[in-house]
Amino acid sequence: MLGLGKGPAGKYVSQRTQERVRRVSVILTALLVAIFVSIPVYVMIAIAFQPATTTFRGGTVNLLFDSFTFENFVLLFTDTGTPRYLFNSLIVTASSTLLATALSVAAGYGLTRFEFRGKTMAARAVLFAYMFSPIVLAIPLYVIFFTLGLLDSYFALTLALTGISAPFGIWLMWQYFQTVPIALEESAWIRGASRTRTLWEVVLPVARPGTIATAIFSFSVAWNDFTMARVVMSQDEMYPITVGASLFLDRVTIGWSETMAAAVLMSLPPFAIALFLQNYLLQGFNVGGLE
Amino acid sequence: MSAVSTLQGRLAEFDEKRLLLLATFVPFTLFFVLVWGVPIGYALGMSLFSDPTGAAEFAAFANYAGVLTSELFSTALFNSVVYALSSTILSLVLGLGLALVVNREITGGNALRTMMIFPYLLPTLVVIFMWTFLLDPNVGAVNQFLLDYGLVQEPLAFFSSTQWAMPAVVVASVWKYGSFAFFILLARLQAIDPNLYERARVEGASTWQAFRDITVPHLRGAILIIILVRGIWMFNKFDIIYLATRGGPLDATTTLPIMVYELAFRGSPNFGGATALAGIMFMLLAAVAVVYFWVFEPEQEVAN
Amino acid sequence: MARPIRLDTVCKEYHTAGTTHVAVDDLSLEIPEGSFTTIVGPSGCGKTTTLRMIAGLETPTSGTIHFGDRDVTEVRPQDRNAAMVFQSIALYPHMTVRENIAYGLKVAGVPKAERDAAVDEAAETLQITEQLDKMPAELSGGQQQRVALGSAFVQDPDVLLLDEPMSDLDAKLKAELRVEVQRLHKEMDATMVYVTHDQTEAMTMSDHVLLLEEGRLAQFAPPGDLFDRPVSQYVAEFIGTPSTNTLPATVEAADDGPTIVGEQFEIPAPEDRFADRIGDSVTVGIRPQYLSPDEGDHRIRVIVNVVEQLGTEFVVHGTSVNGAHVNVVDESVDGAGPDDELSVGFEAADAFVFDEHGETICHGDALVAARSASPSQ
Repeated sequence: MLGLGKGPAGKYVSQRTQERVRRVSVILTALLVAIFVSIPVYVMIAIAFQPATTTFRGGTVNLLFDSFTFENFVLLFTDTGTPRYLFNSLIVTASSTLLATALSVAAGYGLTRFEFRGKTMAARAVLFAYMFSPIVLAIPLYVIFFTLGLLDSYFALTLALTGISAPFGIWLMWQYFQTVPIALEESAWIRGASRTRTLWEVVLPVARPGTIATAIFSFSVAWNDFTMARVVMSQDEMYPITVGASLFLDRVTIGWSETMAAAVLMSLPPFAIALFLQNYLLQGFNVGGLE
Repeated sequence: MSAVSTLQGRLAEFDEKRLLLLATFVPFTLFFVLVWGVPIGYALGMSLFSDPTGAAEFAAFANYAGVLTSELFSTALFNSVVYALSSTILSLVLGLGLALVVNREITGGNALRTMMIFPYLLPTLVVIFMWTFLLDPNVGAVNQFLLDYGLVQEPLAFFSSTQWAMPAVVVASVWKYGSFAFFILLARLQAIDPNLYERARVEGASTWQAFRDITVPHLRGAILIIILVRGIWMFNKFDIIYLATRGGPLDATTTLPIMVYELAFRGSPNFGGATALAGIMFMLLAAVAVVYFWVFEPEQEVAN
Repeated sequence: MARPIRLDTVCKEYHTAGTTHVAVDDLSLEIPEGSFTTIVGPSGCGKTTTLRMIAGLETPTSGTIHFGDRDVTEVRPQDRNAAMVFQSIALYPHMTVRENIAYGLKVAGVPKAERDAAVDEAAETLQITEQLDKMPAELSGGQQQRVALGSAFVQDPDVLLLDEPMSDLDAKLKAELRVEVQRLHKEMDATMVYVTHDQTEAMTMSDHVLLLEEGRLAQFAPPGDLFDRPVSQYVAEFIGTPSTNTLPATVEAADDGPTIVGEQFEIPAPEDRFADRIGDSVTVGIRPQYLSPDEGDHRIRVIVNVVEQLGTEFVVHGTSVNGAHVNVVDESVDGAGPDDELSVGFEAADAFVFDEHGETICHGDALVAARSASPSQ
């Protein structure tokens, strides 16, 4: 009896040790990645919220939060074009998010619910656009907007941003609407609801998670964009924050402290999204992510 | 009476369906024609003229010849390939490792996930601010660390040395885009039926054998897609490199997208050359897309 | 108000990639007003397509559909005053149970107080009052099904259509809901059409059964007729479990008239239907329930493969001498086990005879008539 019991027991112990070793290495990896990811973020926050005199005291860099201040933000708002840049960013981000989301939802519904020839070609066109290089698109757009006198306009930048965010949005909604059972619509029709009414009262509410994911992705593209804005906007007062702030370090009057304060401001929306809306985002990743 | 109501019903149905068709397809078509079709066609047209925005003159493929034979083109192509490959492979390796770790549901796995998603959403400019600072020769933490531990005698000016600029840009890119591979692989891992592992264990497979025979085959498709799609995106990446180095020093980080921008907007604008290079990039992408559509048939997900 | 549903030479074709698929082929029948009709058949036989054409979700390629005197062939689903319960149940996930049930009334512009009263009444009937303020996702499968039935109930439709509504439920819930559906049918003034692939559901619930075979009508009759008077071998084999046994035989001329001769039996056949079939191959169908070890004039020997006990009765799966599969259902099988030889018998009155094309030549009653008319027997 003892002899019989020994075998499995011995194996059990070894399996437990194995499991422990695995666990430790797993946690170690996770820790390393966490450090790699968080150090740059920490550095940004530390510089932004410390007086420049504390950070750069005595030739070395001090990132230990000896003192806390908002003075970098105050400087940013009083001495630089930041308020104007932020305003521009908000305008184009909001309008292009709205436009891209509306376009994606409408196209996604139509592409899923109506039969037509060339569905494969449409799908390929959407995917091709989605893989396309923004800068390659930006060059002819620049020439066209120049010819039409539309450079330095919110309209042109909104259109350009929608151009790079909508293909993915359309792809996402196309896939999303396929998961909305057609029986839901049919059941509403049979109960007397018109197609339009069904769209408003049944389809759109059910497709809300996909719509939110699309809106988040469009928002990120617009908020993060540098390429399109750099090409389409040439006057300082039309720059969004990404282009405006990119020139900070070239100026003698603006130092790292104000620059990192601007970086913190730019990071707020992504931070809020990561914290509160990440489940919608993960849904987006599952259909192919975003550039 | 019933015939009349029937007819009205038919008309209502017809009108409504047509209205919805219009409402969904017209914006979609208009969008693709105006924002994609026209500019791309316009660019391809421009690429056949010398000085297309000024005294345009038909030049056939002279612009293409000019771009292809320029010394910068081969440098930029080489840099593009190096940048795309190294950043993609590194992202893949890190993403795979971390996905395997998080898939084991360790404590704090959710926090780690949130942490991973954050860099991906950060504006590229912010990422470059962070890394420019960290790698700065005078104030950067990395140089201080290297000096403190005696790994280097002199601080390294990462972004402005021909030797270190590309690796520095790749590190910043992996930091920002690495989570793409992570999230896709994690989703695939979580979709694997746990019964498969249980069955393998009952049948006597070791952990390594289970990984090789169950995990790897399930991830193969995702890995290929990551290499392909992420690779294309990195190949086409403009902003992160431009913001970090403007393509320098001495063209050490000039990739094709940087070259397009430089041709169009630097010094005396050369839109013929820029659009010709854009055309070349368009063909390259089209070639990869053909492979992508051929091998993966991604359109099957929506058009069956 | 319930209305009869009349289908007249209805065809439905689908065109995909150059090929034409005929889902429903020349279907003509009249479903009586207020009846409970099930459409049954194997998957892909066109039963759901037929239902969807009645609902207006599909338009026939040709033919017409009438509700009473009204031609509804081209009427859109919104205007048919029908209600439908879907296979996927199709509850709106973003509405509460109450809103789900009341949605049709809301669309029709019924005031809120009236809607609430109607929902409360339906919920009472279906025992889901407790669930009214929950979301569909919080309900069990059976409760969801009750909500779907409730939605149909409050609409007071002329025609109530159910598309395999129970296919995803377990056996116990199915039995419960079958009773519920039948009770609803009694309380509602509606013609009910119920699609199922489960012939037990069809046979137990409805007063008419429409059996389809590859888009064509195989038989449309009360359930008892499908069981006892199948018009073809297909009907005989589809209806009833286990399936009807089919034994090959030939028609031979005997002194006293035509006789159906099988491997181990001879059945006198009526002159009028068999005189010109001498020498033809026919198939004799006999239901497993009508084979018995103890009784029967015509006996066949069966090699037992497997014996199953189902409560009070036994099912024997066996093989006849010439290799045909034979099932027997009886209360006792004399302790027969695998590889035993079992002799079972049947009465001519219980048999069906099919011709080479599977069409029924005659049922047992005609065979019995032939024997009693034959003096030499």
